[in-house]
Amino acid sequence: MILSTVTIGSLAWLAPPAAEPVPDLLALRVGRAETISQGTIENAVILIDGGQIVIVGEDLPIERGIPIIDLPDAVVMPGFVNCRSRLGLDSRAGTVSDPEVRVSDEIYPRTSDWTDVLEYGVTTIGLYPPGRGIAGLAAAIRPKGDSVDELLLADDCYLTMYIGADRSAKKLVRDAFEEVDKYMEKVEKAREKWQKDQDKKKKDDEKEAFEPPVPEPEVLPMLKLRTQELRAQFSISKAADYLHLLDVLESEADVLYDIQIDLRDDLDLFYISDQLGEAHTRVICDPEIIDHPGTRRARNLPAELHAAGAKVAFIPRSDSVTGNRDWLEDVAHMVAYGLDRQVALRAMTLEPAEALNVGALVGSIEAGKAANLLIFDGDPFEAQTELTAVMLEGEIVHGELDQ
Amino acid sequence: MSFLGCTHLAVAAFTGLVALAPAARAGQQGADGEVLALRFDRVVTCDAKDTVYDPGMILVQGGKLTYVGPPIDAPEGTELVELEGWAIPGMVDLHSHVVTDGWGGINDMVLPANPDLSSAPTIKPSNQQLRLACASGVTTQFLIPGSGTSIGGFGVLFKSKTQATYAECVLADPGGMKVAQAYNPERGGGDVGRTRAGLYWILSRVNREAIASREHGLDVFHLRNLAKVHAKELPVLIHTAGSDGVTATVRMWRDEFPTMSVLSHGSFDGWTTAPYVARMGMPVNHGPRTFDTYARDGRIVGSSREYVEAGVPLFSLNTDAPVIPAHELFLQGSMSARQGLDSRLMLRALTIHPAESFGIGDRVGSLEVGKDADIVVFDGDPIDPRSHVEHVWIDGELQYRPSVHGQWF
Amino acid sequence: MKILPTFLLAPAALALGGICSALTPGFAPTGFLDDDEEDEAAVAEEVEEEEGPHWLLLEGGDIFTGTGAVLRGADLLSKDGIIEEIGYDFWVPEDAERIDCSGLRLYPGMVALSATSRVTQGSFAPAGEVEQPGYDPSLDVPAEDGVDIWDFDAIDAAAAMTEAESRIAEAYDPFSTYLILTLAAGITTVEQSNAAVKLRRYEIKDVVMREGFLISLSYSTADSRRRTRADFALASTYLRDFRAWEEGGKDGDEPSKKGVNSSVLKILMGDGRAKFNADDRDELLAIARLAQEFGFRPVIEGCREGWVVADELGRAGATAIVSPRDRRWKDELQVADGGSSIENAAILHAAGVQVAVEPLSGSIDLGGIAGRDLLHLNIDAGFAIRGGLSEQAGLEAVTIVPARVMGVDHRVGSLEVGKDADVLVTDGDLLHYETFVQYAVVGGKLAYEKSEELFYAHIRPLPEREVVEASQEGDVEVEDADDEGDDEDGDDDGDEDEDEDED
Repeated sequence: MILSTVTIGSLAWLAPPAAEPVPDLLALRVGRAETISQGTIENAVILIDGGQIVIVGEDLPIERGIPIIDLPDAVVMPGFVNCRSRLGLDSRAGTVSDPEVRVSDEIYPRTSDWTDVLEYGVTTIGLYPPGRGIAGLAAAIRPKGDSVDELLLADDCYLTMYIGADRSAKKLVRDAFEEVDKYMEKVEKAREKWQKDQDKKKKDDEKEAFEPPVPEPEVLPMLKLRTQELRAQFSISKAADYLHLLDVLESEADVLYDIQIDLRDDLDLFYISDQLGEAHTRVICDPEIIDHPGTRRARNLPAELHAAGAKVAFIPRSDSVTGNRDWLEDVAHMVAYGLDRQVALRAMTLEPAEALNVGALVGSIEAGKAANLLIFDGDPFEAQTELTAVMLEGEIVHGELDQ
Repeated sequence: MSFLGCTHLAVAAFTGLVALAPAARAGQQGADGEVLALRFDRVVTCDAKDTVYDPGMILVQGGKLTYVGPPIDAPEGTELVELEGWAIPGMVDLHSHVVTDGWGGINDMVLPANPDLSSAPTIKPSNQQLRLACASGVTTQFLIPGSGTSIGGFGVLFKSKTQATYAECVLADPGGMKVAQAYNPERGGGDVGRTRAGLYWILSRVNREAIASREHGLDVFHLRNLAKVHAKELPVLIHTAGSDGVTATVRMWRDEFPTMSVLSHGSFDGWTTAPYVARMGMPVNHGPRTFDTYARDGRIVGSSREYVEAGVPLFSLNTDAPVIPAHELFLQGSMSARQGLDSRLMLRALTIHPAESFGIGDRVGSLEVGKDADIVVFDGDPIDPRSHVEHVWIDGELQYRPSVHGQWF
Repeated sequence: MKILPTFLLAPAALALGGICSALTPGFAPTGFLDDDEEDEAAVAEEVEEEEGPHWLLLEGGDIFTGTGAVLRGADLLSKDGIIEEIGYDFWVPEDAERIDCSGLRLYPGMVALSATSRVTQGSFAPAGEVEQPGYDPSLDVPAEDGVDIWDFDAIDAAAAMTEAESRIAEAYDPFSTYLILTLAAGITTVEQSNAAVKLRRYEIKDVVMREGFLISLSYSTADSRRRTRADFALASTYLRDFRAWEEGGKDGDEPSKKGVNSSVLKILMGDGRAKFNADDRDELLAIARLAQEFGFRPVIEGCREGWVVADELGRAGATAIVSPRDRRWKDELQVADGGSSIENAAILHAAGVQVAVEPLSGSIDLGGIAGRDLLHLNIDAGFAIRGGLSEQAGLEAVTIVPARVMGVDHRVGSLEVGKDADVLVTDGDLLHYETFVQYAVVGGKLAYEKSEELFYAHIRPLPEREVVEASQEGDVEVEDADDEGDDEDGDDDGDEDEDEDED
């Protein structure tokens, strides 16, 4: 625990050096904070400045002058991050397979769905493009804002891909990587030519920097997968698909990816939970208790995946406003059926944030991250508990903070 | 009959014929006044005590069994025919549609209940399927109308003789009534009866009419046979399936209308109601489906086993031929034994159980003195597909002998 | 306020940076790789580490090798999926996985022809999977200029990626319920769409053993007969000319391949087998004559009236794929014998025809009707035996003969040293209706264990027996394995089991 006094002075490093800061400070003193990144902190103090968390700790003394909101009975946790949604977007399924498609081009700012789910605590939404095969690039939005710029938290968050035990799906991905190979050959040739040119030059001649040829737009995302500047999110629908994915990625060891799968009765995912666990793969799934194939024996696959070592990120069971409303309750159900509490909380916040590649910005109560906070009047997983307020980047966007 | 025209084989087997000539001649004798004396390695009688004679002997006279037991001296003047293998009673299939050698003519889909129809006019005696059935050891079949309507009509209990006239084959006409209570009749056949309620109403109404006619001493032509069903003079076989169908059937035919009724099929999750069926004392004639994957605990449930273990009386098996060919009735026994049931019990489920449950236990189904001499000889376990049928006698007449006729099946 | 990760601000530029660095030796990924992901990479490396060979010992069972030999109370050792030893008292590495098979029997895994995609893909056949009756020109391998027809590898390579093969391998589902049921039925190899598929569990690698081996031809109509015969005549002439040209030191012009049907050529070179679907006596006779004239051994599926012309088919070196229970009435107008006969398999076999038995239905019926689908191949073999086939030929008809049909008999179909360790461990005679597969081993790995799966575990369970997992240590030091002690254990168990069997 960091023992420090919360002072205006301690924030000096945050401020631009030139102008004297007038910090928009606010201290939140709550009964309990589920920070996710640093565990549970009792009697927590969270200092917020201009929408960002500055410091968080147990019983930190607060310098006089900083406004304090005292909520001794409240439980605070980071805002929910829904990393895979088509909420507020065209519901028609696309059929194109094009890596360069950006979902951010689809965003229509005045969609009410986003502000609706904000009320339920969803402070970050990951939108993914429609389409099949290699469907394009996902984006993260904050669900409040009047323009695309205001809404957009991050773009090119992950490459949406679908893979299955299916010849054409596998071929599509292989072909896309082949295009990268072709481009790399082109780069190599250009470099050789450049090198020759350089060698020809006399000592005194000015050296030119090597400029690789510009890749085609559809090649770029695949290239970035190889250079780990982008991660992939592969949707699969059964255990066998994962083996076929590994088959496709056999020569692409560097690619970072998460797995997305809809849980449903008779799903055979447990066959690969050890493999997913060993690789610490992140599995994005819905909070659902399912039946073992051919039986009515319940299985808690997310709990099994976690036990095996995999990371679990939840998305709502239904990609709708009501689905987002019921999300917490559904996750509470998973906890009741044996999923670790902290894992469950993380699966709604930091894990999906990392899947969205915005883990540095949101998803936990941590210095430097956005002050996206949910204030509950009790344990979030208790049925009677109410979400009293939602804070988005330091601003109360839903409910009130009664003292 | 052309299918059986395997002269190639018949010629090949001629040496055998000469060697066994006495048996072949003897085969002609059992039917008339002379005595046929047969000795076997094993006689599985399928009687009440499930007696097995190792070895055993059978005497036949006038088409009936006159002796079944341990070997004795053959009557004077009679040549004893010694045969290897097992003798078992001819098998009985209570659910067979091979009346016309195929699918045709098994249902008139106009009226929803047809208690005055009979399958008799459609029967083609000794048709190829009946002959094949005989060659597999099935000697008695209940040849019934289809299941398209609630009451398809009356079927005929028929012997699968290989070359005989209609009259020579009939065991009973009418042999019993055929009712269909779930699934098939819902597909249409009349204006009402597309729902379970409608089906129940149709059956209930016609049953009440028959009972009323009987109570008032009226001889209503189209209800004449149905009235006999309600007097327990004729049995009734009820096609039903699913747990809902099975319970409805038991309630109607055991409780509401106490009859000599046999529940047929009982497929899908029908087995889940087996304890109820057993409590109500209703015999089950199971098949053609003998397992179920509906259990949802992952087991592949052997539904034959579930009925047997629940204690249903006189559990028997059927083919619903041609769904399963009539000549593969024994395989229903093998497949049920595979589920964990005793193979000897399955032999009873193919012989004495169906006979007794249909009121013909005094004629067929076991090798006991006084019964029809329907004898099948196998060279091994009768329900093992690898075993061969070596002789079939029906009513003391030799019907099939591969060493003479060629192997039909 | 906008918080955007820096790399997103100029993706293109950075990506190019990435490429440049990727081309530099010692490139270390930067980007947003966090600690966890570095762990990921580390784990992946660990997994790739070399492991010692995988040994599996099936101990103390009665081994029915499928070649006719039976070894009572013998052991079978597999090394990395290949049978290393069969017999008694041989050296077994300490870290071998062991399965106690005392009181049980070992058989080669059965090979089922004509399976549907349900087995390999866990679903019904998708659109497009159709049987190809008759001659299909699309199966022809295009004759490329300059390809030496004696270069089998080149021809194989050209033929290798047929539609069927790539579809099956790329769609293989090693977890499907249907696959488990098929293994439970004792089938470890299936033929689907002209590909021999090894039913591996938990893995998708190397499932297709061979494909495109059978070349479908039709000989049913006057037209197809004329065309097929002409193809054979031309190919045969070409082959003769080519050989003469080659033997003559390649003097003069190379014989022209123009118009030569490459599939037919393949058949004549013995690198593929002609397959016909034929039942009629007349058609079978015509095929037999064609085969004898051009010197190839036809595979004939159906072959219902084969018993009538068995001698001719035997002389033609034919292989018949039969379904013994299948019914076909005789053509009333035909004077000669005809129609199906239960004795078909036996008569064909006696005449020297190789007989494979295929299931009555290639699919899996979970609707309740038992004994007529893929899961009851042993029952179908039983019906062939009913018709007079010997027990040994009946077993071969569902093991080595179908393996030969698919050209994979060097790998599967019998238990022999050097072949794939695809082994069934049963509680009795494989062809008996009460027998269950207790263990199915595919490629040296335990793929099915009756007591561990939900389907049949409740039926006649055996007393628990030991499966010793391979020890984790890769230490394969030769030590005097305490074989005697193991044998004693095995014998004890065996006695118990024999009692059990008699109950």
